[in-house]
Amino acid sequence: MSDFDWLRQRLESAFGQFLSQAPELARLWGQWFDAVEGEPVPLAALEKPLREVRLALVTTGGVHLRAQTPFDMRDSHGDPSYRVIPADTPVSELMITHDYYDHSDAERDLNILFPLELARELAARGAIGSLGTCYSFMGHIEPPHVETLILQTAPEVAAMLRQEQVDAVLLTPA
Amino acid sequence: MGLIARVIESVGIPTVCVIGLREIAERVRPPRAIHLKWPFGHPLGEPGNRAQQLCVIYIALQALYTVRESGTIIDPGWRWRREEYEEPDRWDLP
Repeated sequence: MSDFDWLRQRLESAFGQFLSQAPELARLWGQWFDAVEGEPVPLAALEKPLREVRLALVTTGGVHLRAQTPFDMRDSHGDPSYRVIPADTPVSELMITHDYYDHSDAERDLNILFPLELARELAARGAIGSLGTCYSFMGHIEPPHVETLILQTAPEVAAMLRQEQVDAVLLTPA
Repeated sequence: MGLIARVIESVGIPTVCVIGLREIAERVRPPRAIHLKWPFGHPLGEPGNRAQQLCVIYIALQALYTVRESGTIIDPGWRWRREEYEEPDRWDLP
């Protein structure tokens, strides 16, 4: 069985559990969140010291390059797609499209949401080994797009992180 | 976000999430989470507060080495705008 088939099987199984527990989905402030009950996933071990770690950032804050297509705000169920943010992207080339939270502070200082500059600085001073390609989603994803997220777009990002031999990922929400 | 972390962790890459809502993390169970009950849009703190932002990054990266049980939520107890932060000076984790 290829890695992909294995992953797909795992994800389909997880998604089956998700469907069976759909009534248990968290409902807060009258909105569906990307929250489904789940069994704990086995921990992957970090086998190397931080100074050798290739780190990547993933945010669900709706960050994207000005040159990229913004996240789709017209679909009330959210947009399960992602944007690739190269590690050396100047912060001036980034913007946020996400109507479900106040991102005015993050626009003044993106480090509070997506710490690209701080992570680059940590790499430059040797605190971490390097910064890999980073990725951005928007939160606020509801069914049916949760399926696309779990079965398609998140696995695509996971595969690219593996391809780039990323050792660890820091995820930040909106 | 927790779901994305679960997918990434399941291909063998350790993840750590900064979260604002403990209730959601308790259901979704991201493998490792740092809980900071701060306003939406501010997972790493206040704009311009570099020491605060670096403290959050540090405690998150530390969790990659210290957490032994999947679904662990670490709560540093840092109150919004009521703490003094000092930039971490040593990053030689673990």
